[in-house]
Amino acid sequence: MSAGSQDRTGGAECLSALVDGEVDAVAVLQACDAWRADSEVRSTWHAYQLIGDVLRSDDLASSAAHDAGFLVAVRARLVAEPVVLAPAPLVARKSAEGLAPPESALFGNGALALLGRGHRAGRWMLPTAVAAGFVLVAGTFVVLRPGSLPQVPPAALALADVAAPGNGSNALRPVADASGKGVVDATGAVVPAAIIVNGRLIRDTRLDRYLAAHKQFAGSSALGVPSAFLRSATVDAEPR
Amino acid sequence: MLTRALVPLALAWSAVLAWPVAQAQAPTVPVVAPNQLRAWLLRIHNAASHHNFQGTFVVSGGGGVASARISHFYEGPNQYERIESMDGRQRKVFRYNDVVHTVWPASHVAMIEQRGLLSSFPALLQAGDDGLDEWYDGQLEALDRVAGHEANVLSVRAKDGHRYGYRLWADRASGLLLRADVIGEHGEVLETSAFSDVSIGVRPQTETVLQAMRRLDGFLVVRPVFTPTRLDAEGWTMRQVAPGFKLVRCVSRQIEPPGEASGAGPAAPSVIQTIYSDGLTYVSVFIEPYRADRHVRPMFASLGATSTLSLRQGDWWVTAVGDVPPATLKIFAGALERRKP
Repeated sequence: MSAGSQDRTGGAECLSALVDGEVDAVAVLQACDAWRADSEVRSTWHAYQLIGDVLRSDDLASSAAHDAGFLVAVRARLVAEPVVLAPAPLVARKSAEGLAPPESALFGNGALALLGRGHRAGRWMLPTAVAAGFVLVAGTFVVLRPGSLPQVPPAALALADVAAPGNGSNALRPVADASGKGVVDATGAVVPAAIIVNGRLIRDTRLDRYLAAHKQFAGSSALGVPSAFLRSATVDAEPR
Repeated sequence: MLTRALVPLALAWSAVLAWPVAQAQAPTVPVVAPNQLRAWLLRIHNAASHHNFQGTFVVSGGGGVASARISHFYEGPNQYERIESMDGRQRKVFRYNDVVHTVWPASHVAMIEQRGLLSSFPALLQAGDDGLDEWYDGQLEALDRVAGHEANVLSVRAKDGHRYGYRLWADRASGLLLRADVIGEHGEVLETSAFSDVSIGVRPQTETVLQAMRRLDGFLVVRPVFTPTRLDAEGWTMRQVAPGFKLVRCVSRQIEPPGEASGAGPAAPSVIQTIYSDGLTYVSVFIEPYRADRHVRPMFASLGATSTLSLRQGDWWVTAVGDVPPATLKIFAGALERRKP
């Protein structure tokens, strides 16, 4: 499975981040996978949850036996629940397998085929229920903490600095590039690039017309996203 | 009763969780077979027309930042688009298939274009004769996240110095391009365009686009005219082109912005625009009569990934524009030759 011993430390960090609701969907998948495969990860997960519970409320710092008792009670209730779709198989299976709810009775659809491999379904049931639980918890964290979402991609902001050095070999460079910020004026409108030619500063709005005419061609660019519209919008945005 | 509802939920969740794990492992291996590069690019290209999406798109480079609100809808074969620039002068673009309206509400000017003539670019990619694999190679990088979506990262490397490389983030589920970086000769990022947020699979609201396109009362409507032509018919020869570039189109047109065409003295002479492409990027070469008052001196400028080179050639003024290194523009501008009359 994917949870080899070599990445156990990383897995623990990932679990910790998951508890905090700070991982992306890919990491959630990997963590779930590790959790399913590795009992140590499961106990780590439980420990983290317990820590979190205690931190949130003293009421939650109950003994493990309390949890276990609750789970046993839930299982007992599950088994005892009447099943609307097919009550007869439930009775038959109950006596044969004890804890395992009859998946075929619960679901006529194919969703379960992915999981239920005969008697293994019984072992699945609880872990998956808990997994669903922590996914919901993670989801709740995202909803409750919008401030933790990235507001502005830092890469985009840093771009001016990255792009500024450019290919400085050419003698004719826009002033905008040299300063890294000359393109946007105080009102936020984009002004035409000022150009140094033979050491003298000139400003040529005609340049923009070529740019606009050029970009027009790529109304739908090779990649389909109309970035060309936008870039001509940049060009076009100067007040006339 | 509640527990009975929870267990199916749990099972459904675990099915959702378990299934993509196997899928997630494959793309982390960084290989793209040469013929796969085109497949990836086509997937990205097709995703843009076959999904309904709505989002904010930000372009930054060369110290400038511009953003726009984009909505794209499709219904059957019909494409609807609405783009509203959010910086500087207000400008809206509405597209219904090949008809594009560009509206400047402040100056009450609207430009109506038929895109057919100028936008054969995607067809070029699909035709498969562009030698894309000869000039670029592709590499898949680790999954990333853009605007809240998981994304496959495709690194497109230029094989020579006549073009730039790209790094493309495509939504893993839909293939929609979420972010594109233009990479310079030394690996530096020249320009980034990305969705800062996007909803994919929204309900198509095509009527909002069509309604806006019908509301042109009180607008000065401009319809730019493109006349197809050929360089040799205009008395020009292109002695050589940069490696990998092919002639795509040659038109005679006006390049004055709408609103200035009227009342700006004598009508500006038309300009010949010739377009060359290597399959991913393209270069425009403009030729127009030299005018001392307008064409003061040779110029070179870069803004983000786009460079412009202007120079005088006898009685003519030649301008090359493109998202390519300056040396590539020099090849085009220098290879134009006026045929002896």
